[in-house]
Amino acid sequence: MITEQGRILERLLSGVFICQISDEDGWRYLKASGNSDKIESQLNVLNRTLASAADGDVFYAAYQSLGDDERKVLTQQFQEISSHLVPLVEWLLLVQQANGSDVPVTQGSAIRLSELQGTIEDTPAFSEQLAKISHYKLFGSTSVSVDGQLKQVFKRLTDLGYLLRPNQDKQIFIATGKIEYLFEVIKFIDETESLSLAEQAENAVQQGSLI
Amino acid sequence: MNQNIHQAGVKLLNAMSRHADLIMHAYLSGSVDEAKFSAKVIDSLIKQGVLWRPEADAELRLKNAVRQLLESSLHDERNRQIDANIGSSLASLKTLAQHYKEALQHGRFAESHAHLSDLTEHVYALTESLANNVRVLFSRINNEFGYVSSIDAKIRENQLAQSQVSELLDQLEMFQFDQLSDIAASNRELRHLLIVTLQHSFSRVTQELSIVQARLLALLGRFREFRGRTRLLKGFLLHMEHSPDFVPVNYCGLSQVPMLFNQSPSVIGSAAADTQRIEHEKELQQLVGAIRALNRPHKHYQPERAAHQIHVEQQSAVAFEEDRLKKAVEAYFCHVIDSGDRVTALQYYQDNNLEFDPEAWLYQVIGGYQGLSLEEQEYFAIEQTGEIDPVYTGNFIIRDVELGLR
Repeated sequence: MITEQGRILERLLSGVFICQISDEDGWRYLKASGNSDKIESQLNVLNRTLASAADGDVFYAAYQSLGDDERKVLTQQFQEISSHLVPLVEWLLLVQQANGSDVPVTQGSAIRLSELQGTIEDTPAFSEQLAKISHYKLFGSTSVSVDGQLKQVFKRLTDLGYLLRPNQDKQIFIATGKIEYLFEVIKFIDETESLSLAEQAENAVQQGSLI
Repeated sequence: MNQNIHQAGVKLLNAMSRHADLIMHAYLSGSVDEAKFSAKVIDSLIKQGVLWRPEADAELRLKNAVRQLLESSLHDERNRQIDANIGSSLASLKTLAQHYKEALQHGRFAESHAHLSDLTEHVYALTESLANNVRVLFSRINNEFGYVSSIDAKIRENQLAQSQVSELLDQLEMFQFDQLSDIAASNRELRHLLIVTLQHSFSRVTQELSIVQARLLALLGRFREFRGRTRLLKGFLLHMEHSPDFVPVNYCGLSQVPMLFNQSPSVIGSAAADTQRIEHEKELQQLVGAIRALNRPHKHYQPERAAHQIHVEQQSAVAFEEDRLKKAVEAYFCHVIDSGDRVTALQYYQDNNLEFDPEAWLYQVIGGYQGLSLEEQEYFAIEQTGEIDPVYTGNFIIRDVELGLR
C-alpha cells in the first residue's frame, strides 16, 4: 500500500490544490509540523517546492528555481487565470446575491443547485446575469435554458477544482480552498496595482450607484 | 384577599387560554386586527390588562409583560432586550433582608416568614434573569444573527450585543459580596440566599459572558472579512467596467515571481502495468477480462469475400469431395476384409495413390471406424501408432492407424 506521504506527493506532483475540503487527511498531514519538511525534500529532487496560500488553507507544488522554460509555463498559467478572473468574480457575486444571505462564497460553503436555480429562474436580472456568465469562454455554454447554463457552469467549476461534488447523486456543491486562492489572487492584484478596489466599491455604494 | 387573587388569576389565565389564537396573532404580527375578532372579546382582554392601546388612534398591542412571558417561554430569538438593571434588584434585596432581620429580632415570625419568601422570590428572579440574558445572547450568536440578512445589519447587531455585554458586566460589578455578607451576618437562610445562590449565579454568568464576548469579537471579525470580500469582488467588477482593457502586469516576468503565481503543472503520469509481477496477476486478469473493446482489424477489400451469386453446382461438387473420401475409406475397409491382411492407413494411401490430405485421410479412417455400429466394430481391430507429445503431456500424436480383422 502507498503511504500517506507518497499519496500526498503524488497529488502535489499532479498539480492539485490540497485543502481541507478536497483532501482533509492530506491537508492535516501537511499542516502537522515536520511532515511538510519530508515532502519538501522529496519535491526538491524534481525542482519543486511546497507552497501554500490563503494562510495555509491550500497547499500546492511550485517550482523551486525558475529557468526560461518554467517562466514560459507560468506566464501561460498566469494569462489563463487572469482571463478567468472576470467570469469567476461575476459568478461569485451571482451566487452570493441569489442565496440571499449576503455571505460570500468561501471554502466550505455548500451550494444547492436546485435552490439556486429556483431563485435565478424567478428573478429575471439573475437569469440575464447567468446567461452572460455562462457564455464566457471559460464556461462555454451554448444552452439557452437556465438549467443547462447552470449545469455547464458548475461542471466547469468542478473540473477546474473550485467546487467539489461530494455525492454524485445529489446536486450539492462545496467550495474548495481554490476559492480562497482566487480571493488571494484578486487581493494581490489589488495591492500591487494599487487599485484600492474596496474603496471603489464603497464609494460607488455611497454615491448610490447600483452594482 | 388571597382567595380573591387566586380567583382573579385563574380567570385571567382562562381568558388567555380561550383567546390564545388572538394573543399569538398579536404576538407574531405586532398588533391586533380588530376587524377579525369580536369587540366583546377585545374589550374583555383590554380590561384584564392583556391588550392595551398605546395611543388613541393606534392599533391594539400586547402588554409588555405578556410579550415577555411568551418570548422567554418560547425562546424566541427576536427578543433582543437585555434587562441589565441589577442595581435596583440588589437594592431591593438588601431592603428585604433588613425587613426580615428586623422581624426576626422582634419575634414576629409570621411576618419574617413572609419577608423571607419574598426575598427568596427576588433572589431567584435575579438569578433567572441573569441566566436568561446570557441565553438570549448565546442564541443570537449561535444562528449568527440570522434574523437580519445583510452583513452590514449583522455587524450592527453584533455591536449592539457587544454593548449589552459590556453593560451587563458593568452591572455585575455592583455585586459586592462583602456588603451582602455583612447583611446576612450569621443567619443561615440569608447566607444561603445572598451569598451561596447569588455567588454561584454570579460566577457562572461572568464566565459565560466572557465566552460570549470572545465569540462576538470572532463573529465581528468574520463579518468584516465577508464585507471586505464582497467589496473586493464588487470593486473588481467596477474597475473592469471602468477600464475594460485592464490587464495585470505579468508577474511571472519579474525577477522574483510571487509564490502565488508559481504553480507547477502536473508532472506525473499514470504508471504502466507490469505483467511480470505475480502479485498483480489477479488484478490484471480482471482488467483484461473487463475489456470490452471489439478488436476488428481493418481489412483491405477482399474480392473473394464480396457478396456474389452462389452456384448450386459448386455446392454439389463440395459434397462430392466429401463423398469421395468416405468412399475411399469404405474401399479401404473392404480391402482389409477381402485380403484379411493388416494394412496401415498410410500404406493403403500410398498403394492406391490417393490424393487427399493425409491428415484428413487418417481422421476419416478413424471416424469411419467410430461410425460403424458396435457389432461391426467388433470385426475389426484398430491400432494407432504414434508418440506422446514431448512438451505438452497428456497429448498423443497419431502418426498412423493400422486396421486388421479380429
